[in-house]
Amino acid sequence: MPKSLFIDPREVRKAGKITFKEIPVNQYDNSLEDEKENFSTEDFLRIYRDMLVIREFESMIYSFKTTGKYNGIEYTYPGPAHLSVGQEAAAVGQAYLLDKDDFIFGSHRSHGEILAKGLSAIEKLSDDELLDIMKGFFNGTVLKAVEGKQKDNNDTKELAFDFLLYGAMAEIFAKDTGFNRGLGGSMHAFFTPFGIYPNNAIVGGSAPIATGAALFKKVNRKKGIVVANIGDGSLGCGPVWESINFSAMGQLKYLWEEGFKGGLPIIFNFFNNHYGMGGQTSGETMAFDILARFGAGVNPEQMHAEQVDGYNPLAVIDAIRRKKKILEENEGPVLLDVLTYRLLGHSPSDSSSYRTKEEIKAWEEQDCIESYKEELINAGVADEGKLTEIKEEVEEKITKICRLATDMDVSPRMNLTENPNIIADLMFSDEKIEKMEDRVCDVLIPKEENPRVQKLKNKVRVGIQDGKEVSKVKRYQLRDAIFEAIIDKFYEDPTLIAYGEDNRDWGGAFAVYNGLTESLPYHRFFNAPISEAAIAGSAVGYAISGGRVIAELMYCDFLGRAGDEVFNQMAKWQSMSAGVLKMPLVLRVSVGSKYGAQHSQDWTSLTSHIPGLKVVFPATPYDAKGLMTSALNGTDPVIFFESQRLYDMGEMFHLEGVPEEPYEIPIGEPDIKKEGEDITILTVGATLYRALEAAKILEEKYGVSAEIIDARSLVPFNYEKVIDSVKKTGRILLTSDACERGSHLNDFAQNISELTFDYLDAPPVVVGARNWITPAYELEEYFFPQPDWMLDAIHEKILPLKGHVVKNNFTNNEKIKRNKLGV
Amino acid sequence: MATPVIMPRQGLSVESCVLTEWKKEVGDRVEKGDVLFTYETDKATFEEESEVEGVFLAKFFEEGDDVPVLTNVCVIGEEGESIDEFNPHQEGTPEEEETEGEAAQPAVEEIEEEKVEVTETTDTGDDIIKISPRARRLAEKNNLDYRHATPTGPGGRIIERDMEKLLAEGPVFTPAAKEGYGDMPAREGITGTGLGGRVTTADLERAGQAEVEEKTVAEPEFEDVKLTNIRKIIAESMHHSLASTAQLTLNTSFDATNILSFRKQVKENREELSLENITINDMILFAVSRTLLNHKDLNAHFLDDKMRIFKDVHLGVAVDTERGLMVPTIFEANRKTLNQISREVKARIEECRTGSINPDYLQGATFTVTNLGTLDIESFTPVLNPPQTGILGVNTIVQRVKEVDGELVYYPAMGLSLTFDHRAIDGAPAARFLKELKTNLENFSIIMAK
Repeated sequence: MPKSLFIDPREVRKAGKITFKEIPVNQYDNSLEDEKENFSTEDFLRIYRDMLVIREFESMIYSFKTTGKYNGIEYTYPGPAHLSVGQEAAAVGQAYLLDKDDFIFGSHRSHGEILAKGLSAIEKLSDDELLDIMKGFFNGTVLKAVEGKQKDNNDTKELAFDFLLYGAMAEIFAKDTGFNRGLGGSMHAFFTPFGIYPNNAIVGGSAPIATGAALFKKVNRKKGIVVANIGDGSLGCGPVWESINFSAMGQLKYLWEEGFKGGLPIIFNFFNNHYGMGGQTSGETMAFDILARFGAGVNPEQMHAEQVDGYNPLAVIDAIRRKKKILEENEGPVLLDVLTYRLLGHSPSDSSSYRTKEEIKAWEEQDCIESYKEELINAGVADEGKLTEIKEEVEEKITKICRLATDMDVSPRMNLTENPNIIADLMFSDEKIEKMEDRVCDVLIPKEENPRVQKLKNKVRVGIQDGKEVSKVKRYQLRDAIFEAIIDKFYEDPTLIAYGEDNRDWGGAFAVYNGLTESLPYHRFFNAPISEAAIAGSAVGYAISGGRVIAELMYCDFLGRAGDEVFNQMAKWQSMSAGVLKMPLVLRVSVGSKYGAQHSQDWTSLTSHIPGLKVVFPATPYDAKGLMTSALNGTDPVIFFESQRLYDMGEMFHLEGVPEEPYEIPIGEPDIKKEGEDITILTVGATLYRALEAAKILEEKYGVSAEIIDARSLVPFNYEKVIDSVKKTGRILLTSDACERGSHLNDFAQNISELTFDYLDAPPVVVGARNWITPAYELEEYFFPQPDWMLDAIHEKILPLKGHVVKNNFTNNEKIKRNKLGV
Repeated sequence: MATPVIMPRQGLSVESCVLTEWKKEVGDRVEKGDVLFTYETDKATFEEESEVEGVFLAKFFEEGDDVPVLTNVCVIGEEGESIDEFNPHQEGTPEEEETEGEAAQPAVEEIEEEKVEVTETTDTGDDIIKISPRARRLAEKNNLDYRHATPTGPGGRIIERDMEKLLAEGPVFTPAAKEGYGDMPAREGITGTGLGGRVTTADLERAGQAEVEEKTVAEPEFEDVKLTNIRKIIAESMHHSLASTAQLTLNTSFDATNILSFRKQVKENREELSLENITINDMILFAVSRTLLNHKDLNAHFLDDKMRIFKDVHLGVAVDTERGLMVPTIFEANRKTLNQISREVKARIEECRTGSINPDYLQGATFTVTNLGTLDIESFTPVLNPPQTGILGVNTIVQRVKEVDGELVYYPAMGLSLTFDHRAIDGAPAARFLKELKTNLENFSIIMAK
């Protein structure tokens, strides 16, 4: 919506046509002989060796899976084995030119990519750098297992080679000495010091994350490119398309400032092995015919799309060399269709019922390693004897490392008996880092000159003054509190960026970001496409690359569109990396009302159910600012819920007013908003204010004194205050706007029952929204909890109130009936 | 217009009654005065007569249901009239909005088969006493038997405030008893194996099983007769009395010559003076009411940390009925004439026997008199009715001899057995009361003159 882009009807209504450039398909035509000027003999042989390493590594796992043995070693491996036998040339070719500053993200079938990228990085790093990396990683735990096991103890590259093989293998075998302490496993092994970033077991899952990493590189002027290694099947996934568009969006070319202009430095690298599990992509499940065609529809540059013969390592190296240059010239993104074929099944359980033996045989005859070997011999680079020697060395090495990785003494598993909290301690990083990098923040004006900041100076920072409510225009509102915490951080942490739908210019649909545009350049604050998966997923990639980010979902109801990115990516990478990665990411989620069934849902419980997310839902300006400040100082993913009912709300509890300077409210601490003696009411979000109304009636009409506790956070949650309260009152009602079935309130209620059982005078009672669609605003009082619902529930289930006439049915029979009907 | 029939409120402290038997079925013709159903509180059975005539259109409760007072129980009207608006189980009827909170009862499905299923899961038929953990904790802390509490929580649950009330007012008879009340296994003898010594369902089942096993060894021929509510209450309170007080009995006798002749006089002049048929027992009650105020510790309630001394004498009179022992109260007996006392006692006894007594008359006594004299008992140990501190047993008259002027003469001697709570009063003061009572009874005409 920028005003600088004029939509001229005279232009856009003109007749014309779109023309496409040709998309190259397998155009590489050099012989090995031709390439001699670009590669030394060692280079040629190293390519050969690296392919053999992958082949042998995968064969070893296949052997364990199918026979329980490998070269005399017995071992039971129950985990996944998505092997890439046949795809070695594609992996080695891709990695050949990449160093540690180039990030690759992978899929469930990425053992080969890890090894190739690691070997390439080792080749390019100095001995000192390698030693620093190996000694520093988990205090040398991985290194210790392989140290001194080399023929030449002074050969650091050899040591690093063993280190790489061992770290990956131990990780696959779920050992504490693996790259991710066994918490990643086969489908998620990675090693960031070599530029190997998380591999993803969700098809296409790496696309949004890699996009975020590329965004990080651009925004923070970091070296290197990013490669999203995904399969041909993943092009059927929405988030992959969203990420492609996100990385190519027009503003990067037309609106971003000089020095930041241009598409993201990312290659969407499709390892096109022709099958998405058993579904044949070209001809069966996809429309593209040839995958590279897809680039033509994305942008005028057609994503520089190209199909490359991935059975020839030299063809892939050639492609990467050209594409890398494009990215370095800020002309990204790039789409690469790397043709390949997996000779083994999707996994060992695959009976290959979807393809013929003839087809497999035809590809085996053109096997990438064998044909490369022939070319080496034909071009006189090496003779058969030399190549056999390399093969034997590789076998010997894999066997040696395999012996170490399967040995339970050298390579133990996490001891959860002795240390039952190891994994628990890895769920959150719980650090406080005020700025992720120490440098000057890119801003357009000093903070004091920001128009919103100036406006806020004249606001009354408390909601009640002299016993009267301060008018909406005069008071400092909850939206101001969130803004204030965020703008403070923008002037403190240079890595902080924020984006979402309609954020810039508009200021967000609910005006929280009004005024931010004036302070921030595009590369720190921009409008995202309507791509919730790419918004959330790229934020994950940005955060794990080392930056701090605030992403926004305009409505909680859109969370489903970002389901995988929130539930599988945002929540898991800190712990799956065994603490290597941090996730300083705040996802702002606005909970609606008034707009019916798809714009009014409180889905806090969905996020609280998933381990690894912190979940907060402030209901007052004071809490909103304090919690946002805590979230932005922290290193964990925080889902920050905001209620659209409350954006106008002034501060009604903290009567000294909301402080202008930053302050933190610890995530996980509920707050007593009103003291009382006879019953506790625990609220989440906007129901706080309805509970207060109910408390007033309880007191005035029935002489029952209610204590109101605002949960403020759902995860983590400190029960101590609630326990003390319930010990005092003996009774508790819990209420929130979430649909009652499966609501987090039930979790609260259950825990409170356990923790205070002997003090309870009645079971904890949950009052949530009905298990319906949200009806129109005019009918919302029948759907969302109201003060009289709370009174009726108390009367019916906790403490009969003398003379109370109920309006709603909270009887047990009604509860049974509703559940029977599923409503 | 159809007429709903409500569950009457029998006494202010009664919140619900058990519907014991339907006398009419849906479709029956009903005449004014026909008995529609019987119901009982924990102490008495009542009959509800129809005040209108018509057809018995609907009943909203089943036999055995605990029905809150003032709730619609059935409807009388003409064929075809709508009864829905009177159904207390239905939500949002005008009836419900007009009546007090208790009317909001569980909504039962209209569909018959669902009704059955739902009823199974409702609380009414449960065989347990429902008590909140918090109330139970309070009971244990204060060594109170929570079975004496009157439940006011949802679904008949004893909640904290009920225990607080019990704590403040003592274990008086309550309208708490329900079907199955006495089936609750005694808490003694059950070992809790749950967390922190909590008694679990399994513990209760074990205790129950042990009992069954014991019984099956001898296999006697017997008939199980289910205890009535009153029997359960009596059993409970008698046991409580003996278990929780330090009671003992003093026996004496007095020369009944004076009261026998007084009774004779009354009998002879009864119609002329329109006096009641004054009995010996009435005279003893009168004498007790005039003697007790000189011995305040016996006209009192013993409440653990304090004595509640009463300014007036409220005499409990034990009455033997078919339904079991009942003890109506003659309030302020010390202010009433012998004739008044006599009249009142007769009325109360009659009500007890017919089961129509107002439950409010079955509490509040400060001292009790019980008479087994008519059954030729010469001496016995009456059981205290806590928190009262004394109970006087009246025995039969036997002929005894005494020496008067060197000669042995026969006289009618009537036995008195006073049980008192030694926690409240010592032996000598209790004996002094008996002695003064004896003097007063031997000189009955003199106290009549006072």
